[in-house]
Amino acid sequence: MKLTSANNYFEDFHVGQRIRHARGTTIDEVENQLLTKLVMNSAQGHWNEHAMEGTPYGKRLVFGFITASMVIGLATQDTAENAIKEISLDKIRFRRPVFHGDTVYAYTEVLDTVDADAGGIVTFKHWGVNQREEIVFEGERRVLLKRRP
Amino acid sequence: MSDPDFSTFETWRRGRQFEDFTVGQHFDHHWGRTITAGDATLFSSLALRYSPLYVNAEYAKEEGHPDLVVDPMLVLATVIGLSVEDLSEIGGPFLGVNDVEFDAPVYPGDTITCRSEVVDTRESESRPNTGIVTWRTVAHNQHGEVVVRYQRTNLVAKRRGGGA
Repeated sequence: MKLTSANNYFEDFHVGQRIRHARGTTIDEVENQLLTKLVMNSAQGHWNEHAMEGTPYGKRLVFGFITASMVIGLATQDTAENAIKEISLDKIRFRRPVFHGDTVYAYTEVLDTVDADAGGIVTFKHWGVNQREEIVFEGERRVLLKRRP
Repeated sequence: MSDPDFSTFETWRRGRQFEDFTVGQHFDHHWGRTITAGDATLFSSLALRYSPLYVNAEYAKEEGHPDLVVDPMLVLATVIGLSVEDLSEIGGPFLGVNDVEFDAPVYPGDTITCRSEVVDTRESESRPNTGIVTWRTVAHNQHGEVVVRYQRTNLVAKRRGGGA
């Protein structure tokens, strides 16, 4: 049974390629409250609305690594459906706060491709962009991908 | 018996401030976390991590794994989560996370523990009420294998007049 796409193996990526991923997602309370608590992040600024009312933000902030996971998630089918291993991340930056109800979209550029014994390693640069077209997240990511069968 | 005056109760505070960090200091972060198949599938599904390695155990076994692979973003987010009270609970956003390396894969039932070392502390020129601290964090599984390591930098509130 064929479980993955045919267009996202190592050979399908080239340096300079730019991808707008097909779907965006609204980050609601269900994502931020459930996942931030699931990973035991104890900073109540992500989950105590009352405490945040007295701050310049005025409301709960989405935990950065929930935003990062969802932006990389929006890019995952295209960039890691045929992954052998996700190797590394680098230069992770959270450029603006994300709040419940914001919608994020993912954009990717291929920075590098290198042959490897088991397949090939692609370095991606990802951006997460909100509904006002402001960058909220950026980071680099290296993925070991299979070669075409 | 009348209700107590809660304003007289002492707060047991959590978290550290800028003055509490010195280069070379180590923290063994609390609790550890056994990552279950439920955690892994919930996280991967909610975070749209559409790759069969993370959600299909039979596919992962065909790829040479003993079970489905726990989404490395869940491993990273869990390690950050466990480190928050020691490092960054009191005010101060992330300035950056660099050199994240995913080493040994994590499988359902594995237990993660983590520790951090302070590698740099400095003043913030633009925000005098805060400082900038950089830590190196390493997480291990129950076999002593490294599962993820990274360096992160946050703004950290100072004790006096602080707050981000």
